[in-house]
Amino acid sequence: MYGGDEVSAIVVDLGSYSCKAGYAGEDAPKAVFPSAVGSIDQMEVDSEAKPEKESDSAQDPKSSAKPPDNDKSKAKRKLYVGTQALDYRRDHMEVISPFKDGVVVDWDMVDNIWNHAFRQRLLIDPTEHPMLLAESSINTAHQREKAAEIMFENYKVPALFLAKNAVLTSFASGRSTSLVVDSGGGSTVVAAVHDGYVLQKAVVTSPIGGELLTDCMMKSLESKGIVIKPRYSFKKKEISPGDYKIVDLDFPNTTESYRLFCTRAIAGDIKESVSRVPDSAYDEVSYANVPMTSYELPDGQTIEIGADRFKIPDILFNPSLALTIPGVEGFPDPASVRGLPQMVLESINKSDVDIRRELFSSILLAGGTSSVQQLKERLEKELMEEAPQAARVKVLASGNAIERRFRFRNLDETTRVFIRIMGPED
Amino acid sequence: MDAKDILGLPKTAFPGNQERKSRTPKEPQRKPDGVSREVYALTGGVLPPLMPNLEPLHLKKRPIVGKEKITWQWLPFTSSARTDNLQLYHWVRVVNGVPPTGDYAFAKYNKSVEVLKYTDEEYEKHLTDNAWSKEETDKLFELCERFDLRFVVVADRFPSDRSVEELKSRYYSVTRKLLIARAASPDDVANHPLVKEQFNAKHETERKRALSAVLSQTKQQERKDSEAIKYILYLLDWQADEVELQVQSEVGSGEKATEAGEDASPVTASTDAPPVVSDTSSIPANLRALKVYLRTNALDQMLQAVSSASGRTNIHIEQMIQDLSVNLKPKVPTKAVCAEHLELRKEILTLINLQKQMQKVTEATGTGSRERPQSEAPATPKRSNRDVDRAFVPDAVGKRDQKRKAPGRFEPPPSPPQSKRPRKYKASD
Repeated sequence: MYGGDEVSAIVVDLGSYSCKAGYAGEDAPKAVFPSAVGSIDQMEVDSEAKPEKESDSAQDPKSSAKPPDNDKSKAKRKLYVGTQALDYRRDHMEVISPFKDGVVVDWDMVDNIWNHAFRQRLLIDPTEHPMLLAESSINTAHQREKAAEIMFENYKVPALFLAKNAVLTSFASGRSTSLVVDSGGGSTVVAAVHDGYVLQKAVVTSPIGGELLTDCMMKSLESKGIVIKPRYSFKKKEISPGDYKIVDLDFPNTTESYRLFCTRAIAGDIKESVSRVPDSAYDEVSYANVPMTSYELPDGQTIEIGADRFKIPDILFNPSLALTIPGVEGFPDPASVRGLPQMVLESINKSDVDIRRELFSSILLAGGTSSVQQLKERLEKELMEEAPQAARVKVLASGNAIERRFRFRNLDETTRVFIRIMGPED
Repeated sequence: MDAKDILGLPKTAFPGNQERKSRTPKEPQRKPDGVSREVYALTGGVLPPLMPNLEPLHLKKRPIVGKEKITWQWLPFTSSARTDNLQLYHWVRVVNGVPPTGDYAFAKYNKSVEVLKYTDEEYEKHLTDNAWSKEETDKLFELCERFDLRFVVVADRFPSDRSVEELKSRYYSVTRKLLIARAASPDDVANHPLVKEQFNAKHETERKRALSAVLSQTKQQERKDSEAIKYILYLLDWQADEVELQVQSEVGSGEKATEAGEDASPVTASTDAPPVVSDTSSIPANLRALKVYLRTNALDQMLQAVSSASGRTNIHIEQMIQDLSVNLKPKVPTKAVCAEHLELRKEILTLINLQKQMQKVTEATGTGSRERPQSEAPATPKRSNRDVDRAFVPDAVGKRDQKRKAPGRFEPPPSPPQSKRPRKYKASD
């Protein structure tokens, strides 16, 4: 039972893969859409700009408002935010992300994303609602300032609180001290939370995230000769009643990034439906004859997936597996990439000795990638091997898959104490 | 329950339900007109009503609202916990048009720790320290106030790398000195917990080190530790038994060896058998059971098991070993070397026993043909003993000279303890 005070606060969590927004106190976010946006550079298609804009606005009324012309540079572009806008294929539309290496670089895009979330998805007036922004556990002061600036100046919110993801996840499970393993789309972050504060020196990150696993799945299937056709590239034509034929459509002006985006969406779905973490470390020989699962692609093709089911999630535990897949390029900094159990141990060993036992017994799993099957059991098993005898290892994952995926920490204890609210003058 | 609370409903159910039951059994007796008998019988005596009879009392009563008029309104509020004058809105239960008064309900949970603040003069007078600069101390106090004395978090955010104990000890010592300095007389603050107990940084550091040692032991090490403890207990039991056994077997094998020495044959398997037997029996059975053990430890145990001799003879043995310029403890304790060493000791033991017998014999017979024992004497009787007892093989022995760390003094006839070696070596090669 929600025991807080209802000030109708809004919670916004902009992650590297998807943006989640909703009301505080609810079970799940109301608006979930990709963080990537479609962008058409106005300068390139200047002559065709006008007729295209008109046809677009007729077909897709949900496209975002034109961003203001900020400076002298020619970066004038039209952004398309949200699932519906992105699902529609447009000529020359590039798919770009405001994030680079997990850090926000394009604040204009972020502004657009928030705008879409407030005005088109949640249908609220931001001036009436206090905001709770979830930020990365390794966010810098500069990023925080920028976020606050946009919120107060553009949206004129009455109050704002910036909370770290790890703290929110911890509170959502009812604990003030825990070790949060956040395995999201762009990266995996292991952070120790003590008494509601993140211990900065004990934060460990790794570039392995859901997107990387999707890429691996895609490349692995391609190397086996399976071609994933994006949804826009074919049409089902009925030759006789009940019998369909696939007709390939050709759109020469479709950008590579858009094609990749659509293909990844399908590969991501494959990954989510069939993946299972193996009970012990994956090796080619023992999984060569594992029974296959079938999956039907959007164009009707049925594919069989066998060893990949186990290989892809095992990359979380053994990152070097990714390098065995043809086409996957190595990590920028191979030394820093370790498996999940090693990251957990590293983080715990970097924190103070007194709290280590408590951290071992409350390890929380969060993020989309953490909902892969059997992850909790495997992680527990690996940790018990390496952990000291004196500590009891317990990995917790919220029972509700939705809660885990969105880790929507709508619990609003923070509104009561609202410590670090900055006024509009700051 | 909560829903009723919100709506302001009474909690008890209303009383109208129980009266209706007594009336209904009477109805089926009467047959209504206009319906034939057969139809009536078919339905079992009760005609279903054309219109369901809704008893008004079975319906839910309109909720009885109390005398008060309750509305919920979206009203602004302030909180005493806040330093600015931020006004947020929330739903408020308004009774009879009067909004509730009083502070924000959750403001009372905003507790913080009282951290003392010092002025610059106070710092100059009482609080200077060699290891801590003023900026650092200021920063420390600022963080302590911000994080309510959560030292783990303070240590995490502190700009330079100080341990939690250092921070704690600085904080507590500064606060203590401040309290004492500010107090009118020492008695006033004597009961203050900070003054009464001093923070012991050393103890804390030790405790943490021990804790981290405990926590860094992985499961495998735990298993090894428990195995080692089990083995030690087992060993203690065994040693008690082994020593008795050894005494008997040792004497037997020593005699057998000297008898074998009288044979002329250089190498015989039989001569090897007793030494070998005694050798293996000298390795306690429990050691054999354990697969991995440090040979130096094992050697000590073997020595203990083997040396049934008294302390004085032990000293003799060791002196003789030193005379032969053999290391008292083998430098490189491989299996062969250890075995040899034990053999050496045994032979020296038997030698000493024989010497004693000789002495007794010479004293008894009174013949002075033997030289009196001198510092080098142990060697000579040894030699002559061996000469009498058996012939040795020069070439085989010569070969040994190169191998062994042969003592220089006993050149032409190699020292007798070594003469037994050839056989052993040949057998074991």
